[in-house]
Amino acid sequence: MSQDILPPRIRRWLFTTNHKEVGILYLVTALFFFVAAGLLALTMRTQLSVPDNHVLTETLYNQFVTVHGLLMIFWVLSPFAFGFANYIIPLQIGARDLAFPRLNAMSYWFYLFSGVAIIMSFIFGAPDLGWTLYSPQTAIQFSPSIGLNVGAAALILITVSITMSSVNFLVTMFKMRAPGMKLRHMPVFPWAILVTIFMMLYAFPSFLAAVLLLYVDRAFGTFYFSSIQGGALLWDNVFWFFGHPEVYIVLFPAIGLIADVIPTFTRRPLYGAKYVIGSMIAAAIISFIVWGHHMFVTGIGLTSTKLYTVTTIAVSLPFDVMVIAMIETLIKARIKLKAAALFALGAIALFVIGGITGVYLASVALDHALRGTYFVVAHFHYIMVGGSIMGLIAGLYYWFPKFTGRMYNETVAKIHFVVSFIGFNILYFPMFLLLDMPRRIQTYAPDTGWGSLNSLATLGGFIFGGAQVLLFLNLFLSQRKGLPSGPNPWDGWTLEWSLPSPPPAHDFDTIPTIAEDGTYHFGDSPGLPNGAGYPNGSKIGNGYSHSHLEGLSAWPIVVAFAAFIFFLGLTIGQPNNPTTPVTFQPFWPLIADGAILGVIALYGYSRERFSVHEETRTESWPFREVPNVKLGIWTFLGAEVIFFGVLIGAYFFVRTNSPTWPEIGSLFDIRNGFAMTLVLLTSSLTAIMALVSAKIGSRNGLISSLLATFGLGVAFLYIKSTEWVYLGTHGVFSVASGLPATSYFITTGTHGVHVFAGMLMTLYLLVNSLKGRYLKGDHQAIEHFGLYWHFVDIVWVFLFPLFYLI
Amino acid sequence: MAISNTQVIFDNLYGIFTYLAFLVGIIVFALMAYLIIRYRAKKSSSDPEDTPRLGRIPTSRGHGRNVLVTVTLSTFLLAVLIITSFAAVDTLFPNNPPNATWCYSIAAYNQTQTAGQSCPRLDVTGHQFYWVFTYPGARSYTNFFRVPVNTTVVLDVTSADVFHDFGIIQFKIKTDAIKGRTNTIWFIPYQTGTYTIQCFELCGTGHVGMIATLAVMNVTAFQSWYGSAK
Repeated sequence: MSQDILPPRIRRWLFTTNHKEVGILYLVTALFFFVAAGLLALTMRTQLSVPDNHVLTETLYNQFVTVHGLLMIFWVLSPFAFGFANYIIPLQIGARDLAFPRLNAMSYWFYLFSGVAIIMSFIFGAPDLGWTLYSPQTAIQFSPSIGLNVGAAALILITVSITMSSVNFLVTMFKMRAPGMKLRHMPVFPWAILVTIFMMLYAFPSFLAAVLLLYVDRAFGTFYFSSIQGGALLWDNVFWFFGHPEVYIVLFPAIGLIADVIPTFTRRPLYGAKYVIGSMIAAAIISFIVWGHHMFVTGIGLTSTKLYTVTTIAVSLPFDVMVIAMIETLIKARIKLKAAALFALGAIALFVIGGITGVYLASVALDHALRGTYFVVAHFHYIMVGGSIMGLIAGLYYWFPKFTGRMYNETVAKIHFVVSFIGFNILYFPMFLLLDMPRRIQTYAPDTGWGSLNSLATLGGFIFGGAQVLLFLNLFLSQRKGLPSGPNPWDGWTLEWSLPSPPPAHDFDTIPTIAEDGTYHFGDSPGLPNGAGYPNGSKIGNGYSHSHLEGLSAWPIVVAFAAFIFFLGLTIGQPNNPTTPVTFQPFWPLIADGAILGVIALYGYSRERFSVHEETRTESWPFREVPNVKLGIWTFLGAEVIFFGVLIGAYFFVRTNSPTWPEIGSLFDIRNGFAMTLVLLTSSLTAIMALVSAKIGSRNGLISSLLATFGLGVAFLYIKSTEWVYLGTHGVFSVASGLPATSYFITTGTHGVHVFAGMLMTLYLLVNSLKGRYLKGDHQAIEHFGLYWHFVDIVWVFLFPLFYLI
Repeated sequence: MAISNTQVIFDNLYGIFTYLAFLVGIIVFALMAYLIIRYRAKKSSSDPEDTPRLGRIPTSRGHGRNVLVTVTLSTFLLAVLIITSFAAVDTLFPNNPPNATWCYSIAAYNQTQTAGQSCPRLDVTGHQFYWVFTYPGARSYTNFFRVPVNTTVVLDVTSADVFHDFGIIQFKIKTDAIKGRTNTIWFIPYQTGTYTIQCFELCGTGHVGMIATLAVMNVTAFQSWYGSAK
């Protein structure tokens, strides 16, 4: 693809795959959405400042509430943190980039386009039912707006972005650390990101499945969330199974960052670092068994609510350990209260208040009064703004000199902290006292007595919001005019400080090695050759001569744009019946455009010769012998397990809640299911034969095994389609004729799409193997395909008995 | 002031939580403030011996013992909170609610009273955007209902459409209103007066006005209202 028509500056930012530039893109975009979501919040605070106010209509207020929540959680907090992770983690672990640089760029573009989609939803009537999207209000008869569909498309796109980037970071951190650097040598920030990624990998597939089922309900008129059997509680369960880990997903990066900032500015090592990391792992695990506390008053039963009370209160213990460790670090320290340190310490203080009030909400007895009130709003803003945003701002000041090579204005930064901290507390503390006021209401009557506290909160909101102008002005002016910072202005110990500020495109002239005694070595000499005063990137050693215009690829942005067009087409179609809509028509022209562009772009992506230092280096347990791509695929399959787990779980849920269910064999022929099982199991065998043939170098064996695999895939889909056509034409059973039909078509349909995707891969492999590829040592692609194919087959081994035999 | 049994239980529990919250909060913040002031960097002082330096991974420090002490202390505090919460929730939301007694003063229910049986439960149904309260005999009222003071009232709450949440604000009691499910809450009002019911789950444009009133009356007033208003 010709890239030379564009000026270099634009080319560099559109096509970059360099982790530092992608990191900057993430940060700038996240800050943009932060301002957007903040302005929505200030408008809402204005509306609430006095009783019976009508600055915003109720519909608009509800849209603002919803989009503010969605933006902050999905488009600000995590991407803000992952901007740092992108830039800093490869530097901290001694890698020259992430494991898959182009995939990283693609994650960013998916993120950007998903953000465009959520903002666009305002054109069509933005989602207006809260970021939690409770069903059955999401059903088309209650929310006929296309805006909700566009919101769903945005959520699917950002979930794809997050999944790609978590696979990428996981492989990078396990496979690409500098020689001798053990996992336990990593600073706390990379550890926090690692734990975050694991939570993302297991939480987001649940969300993806939930949003997918919601989309199917709205597009095809099915009943997962609008029926009584599925409905509100099914959504609550799958949403909060994702939703609670998500809280820690947006929190942990900030905690990790604080845990690295504090030792730098207190001049002492973090107290009990290994206990801090252990606590994070413990909290991450517990976060998956506390979701019921969001359902205390849905009527899940006394015993369940008590269990969730215990697990939720227990999750405060690991956070205790983290906070105490940070405080103990201060003992006998030499504390330098620079802006980054102030924000880090301030974030801890606010997090403590958020944590203590969280214990109130963990108690089922108190939750019956506090649920849905401003007490909850105050609590989670103390965590997410007080803990996360303040912590991330600490990171902004901390790494600004590294990003730009210049110092910000310290005095302005300190004023920024003081005003933010005071404004924050005036904004959110009164909300604890508004514990009778429902959240998400557009206005309230004067006789409620809520007026004065609301006025105070609004005042605080404008102080806090106004303070952020100082941040942006300071950083914007300083990146142009600030004093040179040198490589290590804070005298920090982590590896990024050993590099010039900003680091050269290839980061390290010499990859450091870490000796047994914990010292870094660059080349033969111990010490700090990279950072020890080279002028900015002037010395390029070891044959690396990357300029910022190398390692460009146009395909990531094109693939992301194609996906954006495709999902927009799926969601902006008109309702089939404008007066009483039941389903939406997809907008086929856009879908077709997106699909065609996507296929072309993915083909271009796979054919592009792209090898910017994708070297694999050290690794220790447990992935010593596993190459990058293979580890990536295993990780991806782990996420797929959760995805199918939720689909199957939803099937169980609606089935056990249904008073009657069709008898075995009455819906579909067991023999069909049996035949499909045989066909798929045989195809697993042929996939193994393809691998064996490739390994021993038999081209004919490889080609015939791949052909057989492809043929068996065709046979499977043929039997499936005859079954579907039979069920459809005989009228008994269409996708929208009831939950037995819906769950069958959706679950096996999703599996069918996976089979189809596998067949496309087989075709690609076949074309290449006809050209004589993949033989002997070149067999990895066949092996990776096999992993995916066996997974798809195993899923069927579960689906067959679940749908045909019981 | 005691308004209802549920509000008394809430206030007591909230008091315990808040007492401990302030205790912990003050200790933590005082400690942080003291340490920051005490160990603030002075020009004259030099870095501690174990300052992390570029070029070497810092030596780990910290005692498992301290972690254990922290966790044990916290566990003790949290156990208090769990136990008091469980006691409260056992009263507030038992699997089987107590006998309703709101109807005892009404002639038609004399039999029920002498046998010590439960009065019928009242049905509450959330609609976009109003509440319907149904007494026995399908007598229903929109956005208001009345009960006699100092009697036990049991409500079966559900929804006719989307997800609502039924909360009697001053009584500190709440439950979700979900179509296809019935959630039961109960209370004993201690004071006559009117109380505000509001929807606590965003349920569409109109949610903000989904407000109803509960009038708690003295027994004779209730009797004459219930008898006359057919």
